[in-house]
This record gives sequence, C-alpha cells and structure tokens, in this order.
Amino acid sequence: MSIRFIAALAAAILAWSATVAASAQEKVSIAALRFVSSSPIFIALDRGYFKEQGLEVEFKFFDAAQPIAVAVAAGDADFGITGLTGGFYNLAGKGALKIIAAQSREEPGYDFVAYLASKKAFDAGFTDPGKFPGKTIAITQTGSTFHYMLGMLSEKRGFKLTDVTLKPLQSIANVTAALKGEQVDGALLPANNAYAAEKAGFAKIIGWVHQETPWQLGALFAGTRVIEQRHAVVEKFVAAYLKACADYADAFLARDAAGKRVFGDKAEALIPIIQKYVQPKPSPEQVKASASYIDPKGRLLVKNIYEQIAWYQAQGMVARDVDAAKILDLSFVKDHLDPPKR
Amino acid sequence: MPEPDVRGAGGVADGSATIAFRGGGFQPQPRRLVPFIVFVLVIGLWQAASWRGWLPDLFMPSPWQIVGAFGDMLHSGTLTRHVGASLSRIALGWLFGTTAGLAVGLAMGIFSVARAGGLPVVSALFPIPKIALLPLFILWFGIGEPSKVATIGFGVFFPTVIAAYTACDSVPRNLIRMGQSFGLPAHAIVWKIVVPGAMPGILAGFRITASIALILVVAAEMIGAEYGIGAFILSAGNLMQTDQLLAGVTLLSLLGLAVSTVLGAVERIVLRWR
Amino acid sequence: MDLRLDGITHRYDGLLVLDGIDLLIRDGETVAIIGPSGCGKSTLLGIVGGLLRPSAGTVRTIGKPRADSLNPFTYVFQDFALLPWRSVAANVALALEHHPLPRAERQARIKAALGLTGLGDFADALPRQLSGGMRQRVGLARALVVRPAVLLLDEPLSALDAQTRELLMEDLLAIWARERSTRLYVTHNLDEAARLADRVVVLSRRPGRIREIVSIDVPVAERLSASALPVIAAVRDRLWALIRDEARVAEREVQHA
Repeated sequence: MSIRFIAALAAAILAWSATVAASAQEKVSIAALRFVSSSPIFIALDRGYFKEQGLEVEFKFFDAAQPIAVAVAAGDADFGITGLTGGFYNLAGKGALKIIAAQSREEPGYDFVAYLASKKAFDAGFTDPGKFPGKTIAITQTGSTFHYMLGMLSEKRGFKLTDVTLKPLQSIANVTAALKGEQVDGALLPANNAYAAEKAGFAKIIGWVHQETPWQLGALFAGTRVIEQRHAVVEKFVAAYLKACADYADAFLARDAAGKRVFGDKAEALIPIIQKYVQPKPSPEQVKASASYIDPKGRLLVKNIYEQIAWYQAQGMVARDVDAAKILDLSFVKDHLDPPKR
Repeated sequence: MPEPDVRGAGGVADGSATIAFRGGGFQPQPRRLVPFIVFVLVIGLWQAASWRGWLPDLFMPSPWQIVGAFGDMLHSGTLTRHVGASLSRIALGWLFGTTAGLAVGLAMGIFSVARAGGLPVVSALFPIPKIALLPLFILWFGIGEPSKVATIGFGVFFPTVIAAYTACDSVPRNLIRMGQSFGLPAHAIVWKIVVPGAMPGILAGFRITASIALILVVAAEMIGAEYGIGAFILSAGNLMQTDQLLAGVTLLSLLGLAVSTVLGAVERIVLRWR
Repeated sequence: MDLRLDGITHRYDGLLVLDGIDLLIRDGETVAIIGPSGCGKSTLLGIVGGLLRPSAGTVRTIGKPRADSLNPFTYVFQDFALLPWRSVAANVALALEHHPLPRAERQARIKAALGLTGLGDFADALPRQLSGGMRQRVGLARALVVRPAVLLLDEPLSALDAQTRELLMEDLLAIWARERSTRLYVTHNLDEAARLADRVVVLSRRPGRIREIVSIDVPVAERLSASALPVIAAVRDRLWALIRDEARVAEREVQHA
C-alpha cells in the first residue's frame, strides 16, 4: 500500500466529512412575494437567524399571492408567506396547508391600505368611508383582500355591500388607471400607491382601513405534511422568523408621544437588507411607507381569521366545509391574540 | 391437376370456386351510440377515480362536484345573470364585428383598390392577440360594456374579413361573366351572384368567429365585469374554487355546442341548394 | 337585324389569336364556327357578345332588333353557368330582373321559355337536382327569355354525354324552328355544326383566319328527315377534310405548350 494511496484515501474521507457537515444544515424552501411585507424572512436570512437554527433556506419568489398558496399546497415549497385571500382559504380548507404565525395586519396608527375617492367623486361629496353605497369601486379581484376590507367596512358602517358596484380590474396598475380616468368613483390602494395618487392629484385619501377595521392581513403558513413529518424544522423556522419579526418591529413600528411613527438608526440599518430583496427596488422612503405592522411576536388575531372565513362563506366565495380550527396550528407561537371562546 | 388456391369458401370437385369477398371497411359509418358511450365512460372513470382518491380534489374536482357547483348557481339565481351578461356581450360584439367584417371583406373581395389597400392592413393586424390590446380598449372605451363588446368585436372582425374576401374569390368567375352577359348592373351582380355565392365561405367563417367570440368573452370580462361566465371563471380561479371553475368552463363549452347547433341549422336552411 | 364583323383581330399578351375576321351574318341565320383547338373560336364569340374588347376591328349591327327583344345578345355557356341557389324558374327570371316589365308579362315570358325548352314541370327544381342535359335546357331558357336578336352558343353541348347530346340536338332543331333569332354556334364537334347550322365557318389554326365557309342547303324543318342524312354526312366529311391536318398539328402544339 503506497503512501500516495493513503493520501488519496484521506483526502476522500475529508471531502466526504465536509459534505456531511454541509448536509447537517436542514434544507427548507419558502414561497414569497418580493414585497416589503415579506421583510422578516429577508432579515432572518441576511442576519443569519436561519443558519443559527441549522436551516438552509431557499426563497421561491412569485408575483401574486395565489401561486404561493398553490406552491405550498402542492408541496413545491415548505413554507409560504403572503396575504390571506378567499382562494387561500379554499386551498387551506382541502387540508394541504396550515397557518402558523402572523405577517402584516392592519393596526391602528399604521397606514397600510387606504380608501380613495376619485377627484371628481371627492368634489361631489365622496369624502368619508361611510359614503360607499351607490358608488362604483375598483378592486383587484373578486375574493381579494380589498374585497374583504370593503365587506368589513360595510358591516361596521352598516351598509349593504351589494349597494356598491365592484369592478374587478385584475391589477393595482389597472385600478390606478381607472381612478385616474374617472371610470370609477373610488378604490382601495396600498399606502404607497395611495400617496402617489393623492400627490398626482387625481384621487383623495378619505380614510385608512386601520381606522375602521383592524384585521389580520397576512400570515406565515406551512404545508400540512411538513408540519407532520418535520415538526422540529418548523419550530426552528418559526424561531428564526420570530427573531426577525422582533428586529423588524423594533426598527419600524416605533411611535412618538403624539402617535407619529419614527424611523431611527435601526430602521436605517434594516432598509438596505430589505432593498436587496424587494423588487422593483424601493427607495428608503418607499420602504418606510410600505412598512406594515407585523406583530413582534408573530401572534395572530385569531378571532379575525374565524371572521374572515365566515364572511367569505357568507358571500359564497369559500366552501361551507372549510373549518378555521383545522387550518390554524397555534402551537408554534405562544400567546396568540384574541382567541375565540369555544 | 393442382387444386386452385381458394380461400374462404371451399373448392368444389369440378374445379369451380366462389370468390371470397375482400372489399369493405375503410369507410366510416355513423355510429350514434358510440359518442354517447364514450362520453359516459370518460365521466364515469373520472368520477370513480375521484371516489377512490386517485384524483385528489385539490387538483381535480369530481364530475359530481361540478354538477354541485352548477346546482349552487341555479339555486342562487346567478346562472341566468352570468349567462345573460355574457350572451349579450357575445351577441353584440359578434354582430358588430361581423357587420364591419363583412362590409370590409366583401369590399376587398369585389374592389381591387379595397383589396390592395386592405390586405396588408388586415394581415398585419389579424395576428395581434386582442388580449394584448385590452389596456388600449380600456383607455378608448372605458371599463364598462363598450370595452368588452369591442374586444369581442375586434376579435371577430379580422377572421370575418378574411373569410368574406376569400369566399368572394371562390365564387366561380363564369357566373359573374354570365351576369355581365345578361346585362346585369354591377350592384345586381354583387347582390345576386357574389354574395350568395360567397355564402358557404362566409358561414364557415361564422363558425370560427363564434368560437373566437366565446374564447374572448373570458378575456373581455377580466376587466370590471361583475357578472358573466368569463368573470365567473376568473373569480373562481382567484378563489381556487376549482369545481366552479370547471362548471364555468363546462358552461362555455355547452354554449359553444348550442351556437354550433344553431349555425348548423342556419347552414342547412341558407345552403339548402348545396 | 344583321351582324357584320369587320377585320376582327385579337391578341392575348402579344400572341395573335384572331387575324382579320370579316363575316356577315344575316338575320335568322344559324352560323357555326369550327376550327382546331386554340383557333380563337370562343374569343370571337366573346368579342361579338361584348365581353371581350378586340385588339382591332369592329362588330356592327345593321338594322334594329325586333321590338320585344330585351337584350340583343345572350349567351349559352358550355358549363351552364346556373346559380345553384336559385330554382329553375328563378334562374330564368334572372335575365329579366333588371328590366321593367309588368308582372304578368314577366311570368308569361318565363312560362313560355320553360315550355319551349321542355322544363315546364321543373320550374321549382334546384340545379343540383337536374341532369346535365336539363341544366343546359335551363341555360337555353334563360338566354331565350329575353327574346334575343342574336343567341351566342359557346360549345353548349360539350359537357354532355353522347346520348344526351343527341337528344339536345333534336331539341335545338325544334327550338330553331319555333323561335326566330340569329345564332352563332361555336363548337369543336363537326356533327353538331353539320346538323344544326345553315353555314359553317371553318377557322384555321392559330392565328384564326376564315379558311372556308360551308353552306348546308337543307331547311331546318327537314334536318331530321332521312333525305337530309346523306347531305349532312357529306358536309361532315368535307369539314373533317378541311381541318384534319391542322387539328393534328394543333394537338401536338397544345401538348408542347
């Protein structure tokens, strides 16, 4: 046995052990949008929180909320993080995925989605969210979060949603265009777009959703099979996610004594990380405008999720047999908010 | 004497033989029951696969669930609203597109100047997917009914033009010469010879444009439609209601079947002379 | 009304097809035009009917057509040229539709034309339901309904089978006897020419020139009688002798073309 052979053997063993060490990192994938609202996972990756938990996380980016839920339900991704829609609940109701932690929510004091009136409608007296009845309102899609927000508003303000003519226009860009062309009386738009529309002068912000109906807008969810078969991995993932949520809240959710939001050094430190992943690349100002409220401890407004499902079911947009209790797994995050009394 | 090589009927002692039949076959015969049986078999297999769990209903709802979705629509009364909204858009759009298309197509079939001028324009515009023009239509016609009717109308227009002028070309020239030899004025030659002669081609074009109108109603109803089969399909897609989505698609294909039946009847009446 | 052709010359893309045709056709006469393939027979008919513009020469009418004639020149086509979506009566009516006529006269003319051609029972039939011979009768009725001064027949029997052709020749003679128009009859069939025409114009191979004009001195009413047979046979042989050599050359030429 030559020395050369022993050396080669040793090299091979070394290479093999290196591979084993690398594969000790558990691989998981998460489907997400390149939006500011996905920030916690960007932070967790960039600051190495996933790695600390021994996770190697792969991002799978999509350009709409629906495919994210489909990808997780189909097993193409282990986790997903996005807004909760009628389509999401229908998919979740088939048992393929479960909500495990909170993402964005409408929280008083944090501008996120605005009610807008077109310039003409505003001048004609459409100045208050109570005046939606009889108006033509642009939304993106039937069963979208905007649709639900209008539904909640109608319940709070006591008007019938059927008295509002909804125009599904498929995209934010189309909604903005319809507002600009005065083809609709009003619309719901995210803060960023709302500020831009008001600045351009073709629409007026007449209120914010957080002032009317706070609610749980988005969530982190996992495939049911992942939860069953890789429970420890999900726990690790959530731990890293919560650490990032705390960072995010610390940086972006501070308010002064008057209730005005303040962005300090911690925000400045996180903005470059967020800019790295969000597309199209936002300016620091845009990041701040889009920085929605995310619970620092990842807690969900549980009761609201029950309400959402009930509302969609009442509209005939979610199947009757979808059960909120079965699509929530509240075991990964402690002390969820507002649990329903059963 | 060697026996003759006889197949089929056996040879006879005197050496004569019946000639074995070797014709037949290769001639499609109508079999009325077969399509029905195939249809039932496919649906049955599909339903069975769903029951046995081979087809998870997350990815493919069972026929029974689709029927249920139909039942819901009937029950809530939305079915008639969806069908009514789509039908009126399809009918209006098809009518506008066909009227304009026939006018232009016949002009191109009859007048050299119209053809020379129109052909390059039509050839250039025909292949443009009308869905790509949707934003423009919204700017021009708004998000109400006109943009939807226009989307369908434009989609129908170009194939109609092409069907009409090629149909004019297919009218036998000797019939036109005959008209001239009997001193028929030009307008009489157009209305009494060219147009009826082009009718088979034009009607064949109608079959195509009717399908195009049905396809485009989904695109047309993407923008600002509360009711309509296309809007229903899109919203079912958004909501991941796959059973309703397939119910909507089934509705569209039933509509297509109905339209094709109507056109078949029209053809039988108008083209009785063939 | 007589018809006078003066120096009719025609070229297709520089190819000389007809060269200086001079011909006088008298009122009520039946003139057949025969000649080898490609001699310009049909072209000549097109020029006389006003469907083709001759490169040189003129066609003139001398005298007036009779009073009830709506259209001095009408055609009978080799391929019938019927509108397949119209019934027999409606096909015949087409020739009258742009003439202001009282309804009763229109009906009477159509009825007369259908009767003359033996179509009385087929007024409502569609062309596709008719045999070739019946279809050509419709073509004939349509041409006769306007009571033309000159009937232009362009190989009217060529698309028919031999038996139907025999039958139609007999019918044509019967019609000739009852109806008073001038007829110009283009054919490549020598038998038709010899049996139906008063005079036969024999054209030469391209460019078509008049080689000879053969007269047949048997009145139309006697053409079917036994005594006419030898005369017609003799004319037929004569015509064949005249065009035989050229027909052979023309045949080869066409094959080379």
